[in-house]
Amino acid sequence: MPESDKNHYCLDKLIGFVGNDPDAIKNMVNLFLSTTPDLLQSINSGFHEGKAENLAKAAHTLKPTLDVFGVEDTYDLIRSIEQKAKRSELDAELGKHIEQLNTTMELVFQELKLAYLET
Amino acid sequence: MDAFRIFIVEDDVFYGEMLRHHLALNPDNEVHLYKTGEECLKNLYRSPAMVSLDYSLPDMSGLDVMRQIKKEHPEIPVIIVSGQEDISTAVTLLREGAYDYFVKDDDVKDRLWNVLKKIRENVQLRSEISYLKEEIGRKYEFRNVIKGNSPSIKQIFGLIEKSIKTNISVSITGETGTGKELVAKAIHYNSKRAKKPFVAINVSAVPRDLIESEMFGHEKGAFTGAITRKIGKFEQASGGTIFLDEIAEMDLNMQAKLLRVIQERELTRVGGNELIKIDARLIVATNRNLADEVQKGNFREDLYYRLLGLPIELPPLRYRGNDIILLAKYFVDEFCKENKMKKLSITESAQQKLMGYHFPGNVRELRAIIELAAVLTDLDQIDESHISFNSADAAGNLLMEESSLEEYTRKIIRYYLQKYNNNVLLVAKKLEIGKSTIYRMIKEKQI
Ligand SMILES: Nc1ncnc2c1ncn2[C@@H]1O[C@H](COP(=O)(O)OP(=O)(O)OP(=O)(O)O)[C@@H](O)[C@H]1O
Ligand SMILES: [Mg+2]
Repeated sequence: MPESDKNHYCLDKLIGFVGNDPDAIKNMVNLFLSTTPDLLQSINSGFHEGKAENLAKAAHTLKPTLDVFGVEDTYDLIRSIEQKAKRSELDAELGKHIEQLNTTMELVFQELKLAYLET
Repeated sequence: MDAFRIFIVEDDVFYGEMLRHHLALNPDNEVHLYKTGEECLKNLYRSPAMVSLDYSLPDMSGLDVMRQIKKEHPEIPVIIVSGQEDISTAVTLLREGAYDYFVKDDDVKDRLWNVLKKIRENVQLRSEISYLKEEIGRKYEFRNVIKGNSPSIKQIFGLIEKSIKTNISVSITGETGTGKELVAKAIHYNSKRAKKPFVAINVSAVPRDLIESEMFGHEKGAFTGAITRKIGKFEQASGGTIFLDEIAEMDLNMQAKLLRVIQERELTRVGGNELIKIDARLIVATNRNLADEVQKGNFREDLYYRLLGLPIELPPLRYRGNDIILLAKYFVDEFCKENKMKKLSITESAQQKLMGYHFPGNVRELRAIIELAAVLTDLDQIDESHISFNSADAAGNLLMEESSLEEYTRKIIRYYLQKYNNNVLLVAKKLEIGKSTIYRMIKEKQI
């Protein structure tokens, strides 16, 4: 399977939590799609406006959600974002991390919408 | 069984909803989701069977919410789910009565499930008739060894249970004879390290200049008298537990060395230079107040914080209420069993006498008092006249009965025969009297 066909999330853990129940999964996906963009927004604006505390808080809240949705390559990423924000290190490296997070999340949003909303 | 009502208090909408779904998978669960601490407190009248509480809530801290819950409903188990791994917060929460503490991480699901299962079992058991209640205690090994039923000792059981699950260092304090060593062993033998050695070292019992080699070992020729290599206690405890008893008695110089070893997790034997990795869980105990010793400059502050870990403060026996009687009965039964004597009971007045005493030597003293009483009585019960509160008195009591020397002799022989399972030869040897003397007394039914 070509790399681009592979989804950037994995629902195994979510299913572990809510059971293999299509309605419950759809419900959680919807919730994910309606709450995470705001958190991502807070992370971005926190960074650009120098509000480290808001940034750290949003990252903290997003962390378990990413774990549950098995979002690829974000396990260490979100933790380092949270830690850097906590230390108020709003530097270029953090900017790069956030950019990386944005990119991955954008893909995940698209993939999830495709799989769960337009069927 | 009625619906099992669970409160989830969680401001993260996603996580809260997920927990709700998860817990609702079991149709017996009735799950309520609240976003603030206040909402949760307002609904406590519904008497939930358990509360799962996020540590950082928008309106108040998880700790404050828990305190409120505990104030009004101390019986409701509160589980803290937090986004942060922070051992000192965890310790505080557990000490304040949290049933469990976990981090929103990989295994929340399983742990939550297990905790629920345990709480359910407890709820079920609690509602069963009284003899079954004892079963709850029997379920856990350490509860069979450490006897007690008072609230203060139950709190200790809770802490022991916590310490069993992790490798956290444990510091045990309490007056002499309160059971510090017993607790240390209970932790080790119920932990994952149980199959590896439990190695104890009593700091005050080892001469100062030998303590380092005792703890860390030495190489051949390290000092005069070191004729072979010696493996120290820390190395012996590898994979298991090292118990440093009377830690407050360690001198400052040795404290510095110990601190380094704990920090580096490595040691060198005395006279050697090889670095040896250590993997021993640390439990320390003292009957002094270590914080005071730090104040007085007798104990290093940095070491104190290193060793503190999960602090367990054993209450003096005099504050354990009815446990005094419970323990007394236990010691009598044990003593009779060991010595193949028939069962003895403890009269009401003897019990009252015990309850009125302050036991400066705590459980150890109680045990000695009871064993002496069991020896002194000629009846099938222990009454107040057999209970005496210091051993000098006891001898006095024996003499006060004003028997003839012959009668004393008979008493003593009778006691020894009981103690040694009617082995006449052994008793004769112990008392340095002829075996024919004993046989004669038996024959003449004097014994
Ligand atoms: N709760 C208990 N149930 C049964 N036996 C107990 C209990 N507490 C203490 N004991 C017994 O009392 C005696 C003293 O206990 P232990 O040696 O653990 O006390 P300690 O606190 O270490 O005393 P010290 O400070 O003098 O060293 C032991 O024989 C122990 O088995
Ligand atoms: Mg001891």
